[in-house]
Amino acid sequence: MKRTLWLALFSSTLALCAAAAAFAAQPGDPPDGISKIETVVVIFAENRAFDNLYGHFPGAEGIDKASQESLQQRDRDGSVLSELPPVWDGLTAKGVTPPVTQAMTEHLPNAPFTVNDAKGFNVALSVTTHDLWHRYYQNQMQINGGKNDMFVAWADSGAMPMSNWDASKTDMWAVAQKYVLDDHFFMGGFGGSFFNHQWLICACAPYYANADKSPAKPSISVTDDSGTALKIADNSPKSAGDGIPKFVSDGNLTPDFYAVNTMQPPYQPSGNDPAAGGDPLLADPAKPTTLPPQTEPTIGDMLSLKHVSWAWYSGAWQYTLDHGNHTPIPNFQYHHQPFNYYANYAPGTEARREHLRDGGVGGASFIQAIDDGALPQVSFYKPQGNLNEHSGYADIQAGDHHIADVIAHLEKSPQWPHMLVVVTYDENGGIWDHVAPPKADRWGPGTRIPAIIVSPFAKHGYVDHTPYDTTSILRFITERFELPVLRGIVVRDRAVAANGEPPLGDLTGGLDLN
Amino acid sequence: MDADRIVALVTAAGIELTDRRRNAKGDGWSLSFASGATVEVGDDGSVRASGKGARTVTRLLDLPTAPRSI
Repeated sequence: MKRTLWLALFSSTLALCAAAAAFAAQPGDPPDGISKIETVVVIFAENRAFDNLYGHFPGAEGIDKASQESLQQRDRDGSVLSELPPVWDGLTAKGVTPPVTQAMTEHLPNAPFTVNDAKGFNVALSVTTHDLWHRYYQNQMQINGGKNDMFVAWADSGAMPMSNWDASKTDMWAVAQKYVLDDHFFMGGFGGSFFNHQWLICACAPYYANADKSPAKPSISVTDDSGTALKIADNSPKSAGDGIPKFVSDGNLTPDFYAVNTMQPPYQPSGNDPAAGGDPLLADPAKPTTLPPQTEPTIGDMLSLKHVSWAWYSGAWQYTLDHGNHTPIPNFQYHHQPFNYYANYAPGTEARREHLRDGGVGGASFIQAIDDGALPQVSFYKPQGNLNEHSGYADIQAGDHHIADVIAHLEKSPQWPHMLVVVTYDENGGIWDHVAPPKADRWGPGTRIPAIIVSPFAKHGYVDHTPYDTTSILRFITERFELPVLRGIVVRDRAVAANGEPPLGDLTGGLDLN
Repeated sequence: MDADRIVALVTAAGIELTDRRRNAKGDGWSLSFASGATVEVGDDGSVRASGKGARTVTRLLDLPTAPRSI
């Protein structure tokens, strides 16, 4: 009888242990305390590589830690350049006085240079500078298998990719010092804004079915045998010092019809007008740059599925619909609105009304929602063009001030005690960075970009070295709200593992949730 | 002004080229940009900007203010 009792007790204990083990944290499980985060805000600025702004941030892997080899750029034939080519047409944007002309940029040493160096060009952070190619195939050619030594060779702007700024006096530098700077955060996809906004919401490459029988046919790129580089045209200058490279076909579509460079949304607001006599809410589908409506699931779909409230706040969205676009303010960017490419958010749908919200001119409506404590559980905020820090039409200072002002409002919001804010950039804007991106799948990750984690749960004054990419934002949202995992995240994680790379994190490396 | 020069000047201002093709007549290039602007460039050097972002492109190319053939 006694033996039977002991056996029963032992069996019960074993069963309890097994049950406990089943509920214990497993690798890949959300970290304890993640549910303390109730409000997530993602602020998506434009076109800065990590070294471009934070290359001298204390404790981060910056330019100071770059190897000599990674600092030197090579010519198109693989030889080391004796000097950088000039910035074609000059370093400053048209109309800037005094200008930094092409002649003034001749004979720069083959090395990074600081644009606002008082002993150099002495160009202020408030000045708009020359834009650079930031395209899908060129980005891969520039990264050159992780050596990052062909940024100048495959640029359209001469020396410009090697430019950086002393940003130590900026408002966001101070925010990074107060909270967490991620120094191994990479853009989710190779190339430009269009593609990386898709990666932010979908972790997928948009698709143009039957493109070879469509108006977009001439926009199908021609690649070399590697499939990762464009085929160079016979009349392309042989050296970076001789001019901008030329390609057989540098289009928006891959040879198998994925859209990787900028296409216009199928719905207004779009760069393409409605068809004559057609629906005024649509873009003309016959235009070669109009992307057909997309149907791949997005993070918005997943959030809606689990009844998690969310919104995409776009600066100057309603202004542009009501008044048309204007430059230099607000300079609304049609291809920075990723949900406007998806059939689920077509004009007239309830989902569009609920989730695609006007951020107001200068972000006024978004800031009002912050102040009112009225943000949904997940918010994405896209600043209007003149406040997004994009080279060519925006300067760094205006966007920096604006985003820091938004952060200041968030810190005072009634929702702040349970908030996580991610401030990052969509992509590198064609600008050099010295750290090799993790090897993964055909779409990315691309060049390293800045990311700052702001939260009452953020470690203070911390540099997080965990590898992340744009899809890490989706990982966090997915884990926190227990969403179905988007296919592109599964593919990315498997590809990273298959290449022997450490797994990409979920942004919690910089948090103290206990 | 040829098509390469126009592309260089417009893209330097952060306005991405989204399409470049020979026009239907085969006597010039049709260029599209992310702002919505379209620029028709004749092989004879004529330039005409139209579409949503035409005013900005006109300024960048130092074309007459009202978009028209030159």
